[in-house]
Amino acid sequence: MRMFMSVPAQAVAVIVLVVAATGHSSSMALAQAVVGQATVVNVVQAPTASLEKMRDEYRRPKTITFPKDNPYTAAKASLGKKLYFDTRLSAANVQSCASCHSPGFGFGDGLPKGVGNEMKALGRRSPTIINAAYGQIFMWDGRAETLEEQALGPIQADVEMNMPLDKLLKRLNGIPEYKPLFEAAFPGKAIAADSIAKAIATYERTIVSGIAPFDAWIEGNEKAISEDAKRGFTVFNTKAQCSACHSGWNFTDDSFHDIGLPSDDIGRGKFLKGVIKAQHAFKTPGLREISARGPYMHDGSVATIEDVIEHYDHGGISRESRSDAIVPLKLTKQEKADLVAFLKTLDSDVDPTVVPNLPR
Amino acid sequence: MKTLKFAMAVAFVAGAAVAAVAADKTINQKGKVFSQTEITVKKGEPVNFLNDDNIVHNVMSTTTGNEFNVGAAKPGTVTPVTFKAAGDVRVICAIHPSMKMVVKVTD
Repeated sequence: MRMFMSVPAQAVAVIVLVVAATGHSSSMALAQAVVGQATVVNVVQAPTASLEKMRDEYRRPKTITFPKDNPYTAAKASLGKKLYFDTRLSAANVQSCASCHSPGFGFGDGLPKGVGNEMKALGRRSPTIINAAYGQIFMWDGRAETLEEQALGPIQADVEMNMPLDKLLKRLNGIPEYKPLFEAAFPGKAIAADSIAKAIATYERTIVSGIAPFDAWIEGNEKAISEDAKRGFTVFNTKAQCSACHSGWNFTDDSFHDIGLPSDDIGRGKFLKGVIKAQHAFKTPGLREISARGPYMHDGSVATIEDVIEHYDHGGISRESRSDAIVPLKLTKQEKADLVAFLKTLDSDVDPTVVPNLPR
Repeated sequence: MKTLKFAMAVAFVAGAAVAAVAADKTINQKGKVFSQTEITVKKGEPVNFLNDDNIVHNVMSTTTGNEFNVGAAKPGTVTPVTFKAAGDVRVICAIHPSMKMVVKVTD
């Protein structure tokens, strides 16, 4: 059972007096704890894993993870799905969660950047919610610690759904058919904001990428993917070092990196002001159902998977905050093509999502 | 055994000052996790954060009274951190959310 991080990502009124840009920091006295002289020791690294060992790292889980304080119930997931698709959760009655996280676009919106209240463009691309059940931290900049917290964020944001929670509760209480659904999901409890969050999060956790050709290959079907894709898998895990961050069955470790995109958006740096490596850093997205999820990157600035690979091959803008993992790769034309072939094996044939009838 | 080897390595590279730190006050970071979810130290007693992983890590805290930030620690870097206030200090890696632990600082 997953335990959520106990440190609020937003609790960052940090007064950091000195920040080391490299590992070779000099002695520095901060206001409180003291960071001493860093030294370098020899650390023996394990040899590169065999292909078989690498494959084991990508085996999909057999269960969906739900937190202890919000376990799955069918009633909760059903209610959450209705809320997720209900435009009445926005002040103007025109946007639902599904407006920006639509099943038709891999639970994104297919746009470079999201569209918010009064059709105004938002600052970042709408991230997919596929496999959110396995996330450790949420939003591109990690400002939501839990999926429940995330669910209420865009509803209240004035630039997104612009719906204060007190008004939302009043509106939902005025829709008679919602009452028995809330009662079934949260017996004996009046309609409340935390119930809305828990129901939406429960539904979102049920949205899991389907079994892809890659999964069949991982399970031993050698004919499930092409030889090109197999070579691409090796490049992904070795020369290109994609797996340093896009690791595990969902192809992300949820880590934050500046990948050298030419954007003024400082991402996680807004919350970790003194941390150089958090500047321009955004959460590593998973790669499942990747073909349905373009355009790519946090700002939607890269149109195709091929262009994504070109970006990483070049390394982007060199600046102090850029991740040390981002370096020019010198991939060959064949290696790039193989990577694309591999990434497309992460697409599955998911059943169409049935949009629910909504309470009146 | 791993921590003993580390203590010896530190003694060789960094000298007696660091090596004098008890080996069990070392936190490793291999595999994007801290080697312990919790450690107890006395106020003024350093904890060594060793990046024995093969990627850059960060170690920091925003806990009031014990804020710190080691910056970007490359593989092989060991950084001592001395806590000045008693209490529970929540420590994270700003890069990898899978890395989180509590340092319990006692008087």
